[in-house]
Amino acid sequence: MTKNNILTKVKMPFCQGCGHGIIVRSIAKALEQSGYGQKDTIIVSDIGCSGLVDPLFDTHSIHGLHGRAPALGVGVSLGLDNPDKKVIVIQGDGGVTIGLQHVLEAARRNIDITLVVMNNLLYGMTGGQISGLSTQKFKEQRNFEIDVPPFDIVKLAHASGAAYSARATSIKNYTDVMKEAIEVNGFSIVEFSSLCTSYAFKKLDQLQEVIEPPEVYRNERIPVKVHQRDTRSLLDNLDVIEKQFESKIDTRIGVVVAGSAGGGVQSAAKMLATAGMLSGLHATMKGEYPVTVGTGFSVAEVILSKSYVNYTGLEKPDVVIIVSEDGMNKIKAKLNGDSILIIDSDLKTDEFPDAIYLDFNKKAGKRGAALAALAYWLNKYGKLDVDSLKKAVSSHKYSDILLRAIDAGVEI
Amino acid sequence: MFTFADYFYKIMMKLENKIKKMVYTDASMIITEACVKAGSDVFIGYPITPSNRFYQYGTQRFPAFLAGPDEITVMQWMAGFSAAGKFPVTATAFPGLALMAEGLNMAYAMELPMLLILTQRLGPSTGSATTGAQGDLMFLNGLISGKYPIPVFSHSDFEDAWDMTYEAIKTAMKFRTPTVLLTSKELVMTNKSFDLNKLKEIKPVEKFSTEVIEPFEPYKTGDELVPAYIPLGDKKYQVRINASTHNNAGLIKKNDPESMANTRRLKEKFEKRIDEYTFYDYDKEQGAKKLIVTYGISADASRDAVVKLREEGEKVSLLIVKTLLPVPGVILDIINDYENIIFVEENISGIYKEIIFGINENSKVSSVNKIGNLISPSEIIKAVRS
Repeated sequence: MTKNNILTKVKMPFCQGCGHGIIVRSIAKALEQSGYGQKDTIIVSDIGCSGLVDPLFDTHSIHGLHGRAPALGVGVSLGLDNPDKKVIVIQGDGGVTIGLQHVLEAARRNIDITLVVMNNLLYGMTGGQISGLSTQKFKEQRNFEIDVPPFDIVKLAHASGAAYSARATSIKNYTDVMKEAIEVNGFSIVEFSSLCTSYAFKKLDQLQEVIEPPEVYRNERIPVKVHQRDTRSLLDNLDVIEKQFESKIDTRIGVVVAGSAGGGVQSAAKMLATAGMLSGLHATMKGEYPVTVGTGFSVAEVILSKSYVNYTGLEKPDVVIIVSEDGMNKIKAKLNGDSILIIDSDLKTDEFPDAIYLDFNKKAGKRGAALAALAYWLNKYGKLDVDSLKKAVSSHKYSDILLRAIDAGVEI
Repeated sequence: MFTFADYFYKIMMKLENKIKKMVYTDASMIITEACVKAGSDVFIGYPITPSNRFYQYGTQRFPAFLAGPDEITVMQWMAGFSAAGKFPVTATAFPGLALMAEGLNMAYAMELPMLLILTQRLGPSTGSATTGAQGDLMFLNGLISGKYPIPVFSHSDFEDAWDMTYEAIKTAMKFRTPTVLLTSKELVMTNKSFDLNKLKEIKPVEKFSTEVIEPFEPYKTGDELVPAYIPLGDKKYQVRINASTHNNAGLIKKNDPESMANTRRLKEKFEKRIDEYTFYDYDKEQGAKKLIVTYGISADASRDAVVKLREEGEKVSLLIVKTLLPVPGVILDIINDYENIIFVEENISGIYKEIIFGINENSKVSSVNKIGNLISPSEIIKAVRS
């Protein structure tokens, strides 16, 4: 351990009498006393007067955006994953309210960083405007927003799960409080009261009259780390589908299946695509459903083709299967006369007199109707061997139910 | 009756099954797999349609996974990981990208490698989350304040998805920069039969390849114009990373020749070495005066259209652009060889066309545009013929 080497010889850039310089020295002393060297320390700085600290520390440093330093510090800490390194995040009261979510999130996860909040009660760089951490008494003096209380960032951080949260209001114990915070394993936050001689007060006793009293809270918990795990290739885990059946599709065929969410539409379409692949064809499948995936329509499009499929749109589907009212309402307007229409009997309408109407829902149930209708079509028109569809569902966890739906479709 | 032909057919079928490794998958999975194979360390995400399959596959496949509380946080955490020497990946859509814009500028100025997968959906604003689009290229073109170039790659099929992911990560590491893989809903949420044997082997990208020039300064560069990538916390070198205008030491310094040179270098490094990350497919037909220019999801319909047009005797060439930004000079050279250039893009007015030709009327240039649905081959054929 080398003593007194955390700070550079660079002159403090702050206004004469400003409290920030005292806080910077306290941070450095606390680091030195806790045994952290230059290369063990990473200073993460925000924007504002508190963001001028990088050149003062003879350590690693990273200087980012206004309000985001706590989140950046979380990334650095988790990325390093090294308990021998200390990540110190420094921001002002302005930065805290811009990125309040980042402070709460770091506290919630108890990430191993120390957040220093230099609260001078105002925005110093833009002319001394009040901040979300300006105290009531300070605002009363200015007769401004006196009915809006400030955030208590110390209590907020504690309630969110921070291992250590404190407010230090006397320069006599700044280093001691900082040292306590640094030695915590987990998220620690210290709000330091800082004098702004340009826009607030010239003397410390004036500051003492308007700030909130000191406080310290602890949560006994261990920090959250990133879990490293061994994973296996998702692609290698996929079933390799080999040709086992013959198809009677000479060029390509497009199938639309329309029904309701929860009606097995997407799954039936996937089974048809798989059956096509088992029959040596190229297949594409895409689904459309509302963002509320558990209700409303569910439509799927499948293309089966002898040659590779580039464009996956379906301007004129060869076969359209409709098994529910949601599905009918969704695609009715797009139907043209060229398609084979296979529709559940319950939806019988004069609009499509040439359609084939059958009892898919009655015979195969709501969840089996789409698959039953596909099985009916394959059996009647013989484009694929129905056994290829049976093979496609055989590895599904509910294969028994699916096979019954296929049988029901064939019997119809 | 069992004939010799049947027997021969069965043998052929067996052979074909051996040569091919057909699976049923989607490009979200292929891209996720490519990310991990290329050496990505962590997926940091906030779920958004139509990028949610990346999030889902990310939880299963990445060596580490973090669920951010919002996209602003995601980008900051990514920058932190990257500054600590870990390669992060995220996937989002326009609303998330908008929240990340300031953070991306930060990571860009800091020179932190990372990959952002952007799945385009119909805008403006929240638009239609489950409808595809090609509407975000102009935003990316101006994303970095001052119009500094951020490399944007695009894929047009599953093989591309694999290759361009790898190239986007390689470029990110090589140039110490965020890169974008620009995709869209239909490209990453459509399942297809696919032969896995078509994918080339991907080896992890070398992270810390740029050599340190002694005495070390975090932003000092040699001829490559890219500073050595040393993570925060290094035992030997003091690392200072900075998003504000900074000198070679990584400290804020404005109106200073060294700092301004550093700022200019952010553009120059990409321009000087553009050949190292220029990708496109150019299907040139001898004697053709017409050229279709397209990218991403509109490439498939364009391929089909070109086959049909040529069958009918029309002479037409096809350019599928994969390095969208910055625009490589070779793309302009190809375009300039033609009398008629037809841009095909799924947006309202032709964004890539505007990037190449501006908003001025040009009799050589036309476009096929559409919103809310894929552009079809027949729409392209009609435009080429007229």
